[in-house]
Amino acid sequence: MLLAAVDYYRPDTLDEALEALVSTEGARPLAGGQSLVSILKLRAASVELLVDISRLEDLRTIEVADDGAVRIGAGVTYDEMATSPDLHQSYASLSNIAAHTVDAQVRNRGTFGGNLCHNDPINNFPPVAVALDAVMHVTSKNGDRDIAAGDFFTGYFANALSPDELLTGVTLPALDGRSIGYQEVEIGEAAARAVAVVATSNGNIESANVALGCLPIPMRAPGVEAALAGAPTTAEAVAEATASAADGIEPLTDADASADYRLAMASVVAKRAVMEAIEGGHHG
Amino acid sequence: MTAPTTEKVATTPWTGQSLPRKEDERLLKAQGSFVDDEGMYRQGYAEFVRSPYAHARIVSIDVSAAEALAGVITTLIGDEVKAMTEPLFQFAPKEDGSQMNEYLLGVDIVRYQGEAVALVMAETREIARDAADLIEVEYEPLPVLLDGVAAAEPDSYVLHDSLGDNIAWKGLFDWGDIEWALEEADHVVKIDKLHFHRYSSTPIECNAILVNWDPGTDMIRVVSNNQFPMFGALVIGPSMGVGVDQFDFVSQDIGGGFGIKINSYTHIGVLALLSRKAGRPVKWTETRTEHHQSGGHGNERTFLDIEVPVMADGTMLGYKMRAFDDAGAYLHYEPLGAVIWSQVVPGPYKLKHVQVDYTETLTNKCPAVPNRGYSRMQHIWFLERVIDLVAQELELDPVEVRKLNYIQPEDYPYTTPNGCVYDSGDLPTALDMVLEMIDYEGAKQLKEERAGSGKRIGIGIGTTLDSGTNNFGQSRILNPELPFSGNGEACTALLDLYGEVMLKLGTNPQGQGHETTGSQVAADILGMSPENIRVWAGFDKSHSAYIGFSGTYASQFAVTGINAIIGAVEKLKAEIIEVAAHAFGAEQDQVELVDGEARIIGNPEAAIPFIGIANMVFANNSTLPHEMAERVSLTCRHVYVPKFELPDVEKKYGNLTLTYSSQTHAAVVEVDEETGKVQILDYAVVDDCGKRINPMVVDGQVHGATGLGIGAALREAFEYDEDGQLLNSNFLFYHAATATDVPNIKTDHIESPSPFSGTGAKGMGEGGGAPLHTISSAIQDALGPGKAIVSDSHNPPERVWRLLNWDGPADERGVSVASKGTTS
Ligand SMILES: Cc1cc2nc3c(=O)[nH]c(=O)nc-3n(C[C@H](O)[C@H](O)[C@H](O)COP(=O)(O)OP(=O)(O)OC[C@H]3O[C@@H](n4cnc5c(N)ncnc54)[C@H](O)[C@@H]3O)c2cc1C
Repeated sequence: MLLAAVDYYRPDTLDEALEALVSTEGARPLAGGQSLVSILKLRAASVELLVDISRLEDLRTIEVADDGAVRIGAGVTYDEMATSPDLHQSYASLSNIAAHTVDAQVRNRGTFGGNLCHNDPINNFPPVAVALDAVMHVTSKNGDRDIAAGDFFTGYFANALSPDELLTGVTLPALDGRSIGYQEVEIGEAAARAVAVVATSNGNIESANVALGCLPIPMRAPGVEAALAGAPTTAEAVAEATASAADGIEPLTDADASADYRLAMASVVAKRAVMEAIEGGHHG
Repeated sequence: MTAPTTEKVATTPWTGQSLPRKEDERLLKAQGSFVDDEGMYRQGYAEFVRSPYAHARIVSIDVSAAEALAGVITTLIGDEVKAMTEPLFQFAPKEDGSQMNEYLLGVDIVRYQGEAVALVMAETREIARDAADLIEVEYEPLPVLLDGVAAAEPDSYVLHDSLGDNIAWKGLFDWGDIEWALEEADHVVKIDKLHFHRYSSTPIECNAILVNWDPGTDMIRVVSNNQFPMFGALVIGPSMGVGVDQFDFVSQDIGGGFGIKINSYTHIGVLALLSRKAGRPVKWTETRTEHHQSGGHGNERTFLDIEVPVMADGTMLGYKMRAFDDAGAYLHYEPLGAVIWSQVVPGPYKLKHVQVDYTETLTNKCPAVPNRGYSRMQHIWFLERVIDLVAQELELDPVEVRKLNYIQPEDYPYTTPNGCVYDSGDLPTALDMVLEMIDYEGAKQLKEERAGSGKRIGIGIGTTLDSGTNNFGQSRILNPELPFSGNGEACTALLDLYGEVMLKLGTNPQGQGHETTGSQVAADILGMSPENIRVWAGFDKSHSAYIGFSGTYASQFAVTGINAIIGAVEKLKAEIIEVAAHAFGAEQDQVELVDGEARIIGNPEAAIPFIGIANMVFANNSTLPHEMAERVSLTCRHVYVPKFELPDVEKKYGNLTLTYSSQTHAAVVEVDEETGKVQILDYAVVDDCGKRINPMVVDGQVHGATGLGIGAALREAFEYDEDGQLLNSNFLFYHAATATDVPNIKTDHIESPSPFSGTGAKGMGEGGGAPLHTISSAIQDALGPGKAIVSDSHNPPERVWRLLNWDGPADERGVSVASKGTTS
């Protein structure tokens, strides 16, 4: 192994995990390890203790409430999301997104919670959570708290948790007939991504949430949302309403694409995501 | 050259059949043996410390903390290496003798990110890694030079003081009369700049080396996946002050090479020094990030001020341009690339007047090394861009312009302006075939239908040449003093004690199927099944046949390796027949070999199995005349040497390569106007490599080369930031094409046998980088006339999107035409 020496602990209960996190300097939760282990291999983070939360039963359930809201445990893997009949029933587009995340190896291990906490700009789920106004359930030895998805992501690889806190699960509100569009410009993983949650009736858009990903902080596009509300569901109207999607975002430049290109792509993926939602939602 | 047997044997020839590969079973059952699978008693593990800077002075290196770590065996730093060794051999010092000084480890100054400056050896790989973190290197950063064209400017910062400038090699290639042609032409098409990008065909197995400098015997056993160990030995032996006889190079299975794995010789040398210091074997397995930063990149080349004289009917007379090849920080195998492109000066076209002002420069980037299609594909990509732009600018049909300018079937053997002799081919037929395979007319119709839909269609053609079997004499064009010329390969064919047939090759394949094709040609000569012929897997210098050129590189096995096998097996056959004839009391021409027996022709009853022949020679030799018993060894070595002459170094003229395979590719792509993303809708290849020894192996090479070329055209590029930091030094960011990124490839073939190779076969391993040409061509077609030109070989979405959105002035499109009778 190429990791620096690190201690490893797999607690049996959530409480033991929280205890370890609060009592050990340099402790860090380990979920699927699909990002964290790579970082440790690069020796780019100093971690003293890995607290393996991947088998904590408390984090591993998907619950659908009567009203259609869904609570997904932080430790649920992409594969479990992709194959859960309950999730498929209530949130088909989300299980389709999970089913097409990376490859089978990563899907078998990578977790919904790890994906959100890690907040790599390439990660699929941060803009999904933001578009859906998800509620992030957080716990620590000091008690529980909920964080709105819009406040959870604080920067490149950063979130609002303190080192002793764990994300336990995420509640996604009932879709109530809304559809989810999910579109990206695939370069490597993705260079630009948008998620749209749209309600329509009689050829008009009733409401639309639009979030942009591949950013240090996934962002809603309020101007676009306002322009979409009440607009007809035609391609022309959607193109016009999403034209300003890049307003206020600050994408990165890397080997895949420049910030300029990503700015230009914001309206492209936003338009495509909204149209996909109008046409019935993301199928993968 | 010896042709395959004319003996009347009852079997159909094995040669030419798509026999399943002998190698596959062990590879598919994970029973292959790669370097990392090997071990030696008391081996330690090495870890390199590499420069995080692209250019810096090494102020100090402190290994004390590392050496104090429990489990650390020893360390090695550049100053020690400098004291123990000489600088590495350079191919082409300047006329005044000045040259760069490169040692096996960085000394004083590091010149690219990832350059090795120190080594640590420990009991485990983990400890070695930890210890490497404890080696403290103090650097003083220096200015970074990344532009291969600017590096040639006289006032540029000089990377190697001892060289005096950043010019690795410079020369004017001038054939025919380009000034006359430019005068004479009806049109001169001018292209400002074309750029071939830096990438690697990325072997899936990184470099790995296990070496033991035996303190008792002074022998250096090197188990490695280096693909051209004899070249490595020739370069590092003198530097280390050791004889080549001290080296025993060994390899079995290698997970891809593509030329990149020629480059590991400096690490072989320094690891040997580390082993000597430790008195123990040492193993090193490269990480992907090390491989991307320092394992070797393909050559990046910029073409400037291109002028192409064209007659009114579309006949191209030649071209003139300046080329700048960026070799990176050190010359590994380079500057050979500065002449290797001239194997294909006119490409597939009848261009007569050519002038190339060629400069190879040094920059603060990873050293450039051969990469599948080495140096020729850069040049043919340039020519294919030229012909498409000529067609576009003069409103000619790209198919007709190609056919008009192609070397025609009746022109072969065709002598190029610089004296290369193209052996055979039928390019117009290949083009017709490949266009039919993509339904050219249907594709053109689709293009019209899709116009205005936001998804444009583009149709691209790429004709390429895969020149094989180098005349190493071309290196003298770089430096007339070099003691290299010709080429060749060796093989030993033998009967073992119980009559088993075995071949030992000089090659060390990386997936090319030599065990299979070697046994096929041997089987035809010996009249037996290839199943019963063992081809020693891999290479072992202590018993394999070899010469200085031995290795597997540069598309030559089908000629050099196969002819060495044929020669050795023919000798073995002659010995078997001689012994049998003696035993039968018959004449030699009355004996034939069938089914592993020597027989009197026409009398299956009178037969001696090979075990009987072996018995007489190895264990029962008083049954033979004494003279014969001493002479016949049943261990027959043959060296195949192609007929080459020395080139005229003044005129840079001569036959540089024995065979020329061609590949004609065609693609239909869809370009998304909003994103610039290119999707391949249809892809077809017609291959012509003369006589195919095993068509399935050929098809595998075609698929592999096409996949790598598509990856390079659309996905893969090494990108440095302005500080010389490589931005994509792992597979998350370097997007090597995987199976899902490569479309279904339709293949077909024609066979134009080579008159020069004995068997009619030609080397064909590199595919000439044809997808790069083809996809650039298709994108150009999708853009249409009046737009900026496709001027880069790498076309990821953003670059295409910028081309789609380009709306600059007409004189900034990058191309212009000056026509007779009009002012330009
Ligand atoms: C080859 C490859 C390609 C990939 N491509 C993509 C892609 O295209 N899209 C994509 O979305 N992802 C991609 N990923 C990343 C993958 O989805 C990761 O699994 C994900 O980012 C992290 O999830 P994990 O469960 O593996 O978390 P880990 O790697 O275990 O942890 C990641 C971080 O989150 C913290 N963490 C984890 N769980 C919790 C928790 N419950 N509470 C608090 N902190 C926590 C950890 O401490 C760590 O800092 C890729 C990964 C690989 C290896």
